[in-house]
Amino acid sequence: MTAAISVVGVSRRHRDHLALDAVSLQVEAGSITGLLGRNGAGKTTLMRIIAAQDFASAGEVRVMGADPVEDDAVLRRIVLVREDQIYPRYVRVWQLLRMASWCYPNWSQELAETLLRDFDLPAGRRVERLSRGMRSALGIVIGLAARTEVTLFDEPYAGLDAVARDRFYDRLLTEYTERPRAMILSTHLIDEIAGLLERVVVLHRGRVVLDAPTDDLRGSASIVSGPALAVDQFVAGRRTWDRRRIGSQASAIVVGPVTEVDAARARSLRLEVEALTLQQVVVRTAAERDASAEERTSA
Amino acid sequence: MRNWITVARWHLVQPLLWLAVPWAVVALNLAVNVLDRAISRPGPSGGQTGSVATIFIIFLLFGVLSMVRSLPFALAMGISRRSYYGGTLLLAVSVALVDGLLLAILQAVERATGGWGVYLRFFRVEYLLQGPWYLTWLTSFVVLTLIFVYGMWFGLVHRRWNVTGLLGFVIGQVVLAAIVVQFVDLHTGWSGVGSFFTAVTVSGTTGLAAVVALVLIAGGYAVIRRASV
Repeated sequence: MTAAISVVGVSRRHRDHLALDAVSLQVEAGSITGLLGRNGAGKTTLMRIIAAQDFASAGEVRVMGADPVEDDAVLRRIVLVREDQIYPRYVRVWQLLRMASWCYPNWSQELAETLLRDFDLPAGRRVERLSRGMRSALGIVIGLAARTEVTLFDEPYAGLDAVARDRFYDRLLTEYTERPRAMILSTHLIDEIAGLLERVVVLHRGRVVLDAPTDDLRGSASIVSGPALAVDQFVAGRRTWDRRRIGSQASAIVVGPVTEVDAARARSLRLEVEALTLQQVVVRTAAERDASAEERTSA
Repeated sequence: MRNWITVARWHLVQPLLWLAVPWAVVALNLAVNVLDRAISRPGPSGGQTGSVATIFIIFLLFGVLSMVRSLPFALAMGISRRSYYGGTLLLAVSVALVDGLLLAILQAVERATGGWGVYLRFFRVEYLLQGPWYLTWLTSFVVLTLIFVYGMWFGLVHRRWNVTGLLGFVIGQVVLAAIVVQFVDLHTGWSGVGSFFTAVTVSGTTGLAAVVALVLIAGGYAVIRRASV
């Protein structure tokens, strides 16, 4: 089976700056991928190129098996409303939704209207008068109601309050369960959507530094804390990332799964063991990979 | 073609902006001019205002906005650059055709009413819009289209080459104009230019404008094909 989204060796050069550096990525139909990375890491650029809003300087992009550039039949199956989306002037929310509905064969007006209510979006208001959070919500409404096979969300959380974030999570899950599609979500807030993500891809300075199934990452590292001597004893022979010591107390992050036996041993040593959150694992793994990659290049 | 029509409908999601705003401005302008002459009561000579130019300027703005504001959203909604360009032109040309006809009709009314009763020459423009109604229609249509496409170019250059490109585009035109002025001064002189336009007549000038519009349309297509948003 061909992947819904296939990116092979894609680079994007802006004069002397390399925004994307030989990025490769496969996204299967019916899967949700989290695209993570710091500001300026190249997340939006990658999504723009997948949606043919921008062009790759090198490499190849295939969406549903075809090059999306200037291909209406393929483009109709992709939606990407960006965080910094520019909207037509003077257009009102309901008019914008009508415009979107003409573009997508599977558009659900019913869903769009439900989501408008969910996010308290004023249908009669001009888009340029919406607050940042409302604009994010509008992007979510369009992205979900379009019901395209390839759905790209660029920072969908930006400016959303906790209630709205929760609703987004909820609606996304319902929609996805009813109509699975290939989704990419770029975000900083990993833990809030950790339950949704099947895969995590981390970009750093235009390169993929981590690409792994979420299940492999979850529980792949734990933080152990307690009396320094006990910590030393527990981590001996294990790979650790970060060891800290304050007085007689210490903590260390151990890499690899913590088994029942390990847990029992930790209890007897009066140690506390806590699995790292996905966010922490991602940040650390990415930092490690990036450091080792830099060692290789400088060596 | 189906995609072109989708894009044309897209622009008309705000029908008032495209269809009513230009005429509201023209109507207001006309009213002010008529009122002014009704109060000052000048004789039958003169009466040229040039105010009808407002509708052409609005078309220029439509051209700019179509590429600066609407294009990014069109690409976000899975419309190809080709379809967007074709559909936008389809709409602009259709509206120019209708608005051109309206200008011709209003010109006829102006003639029949003795310049709205105050010898006003609002819709009659020296040389350019003076002939029979069908020629006024044709010339207005061509010039409206040309100006829209010219406006599109500003937006397109900005989209493709950012502010630097836009600056170059404007400077380039200023330099070109300066060269033309120099050339005319040194060689033929301005009376030569005047007699050229008199010789080719309005139909000839309209034909020239149409050629320029077609060249700009073809060139614009080449620019938009590689424009990113």
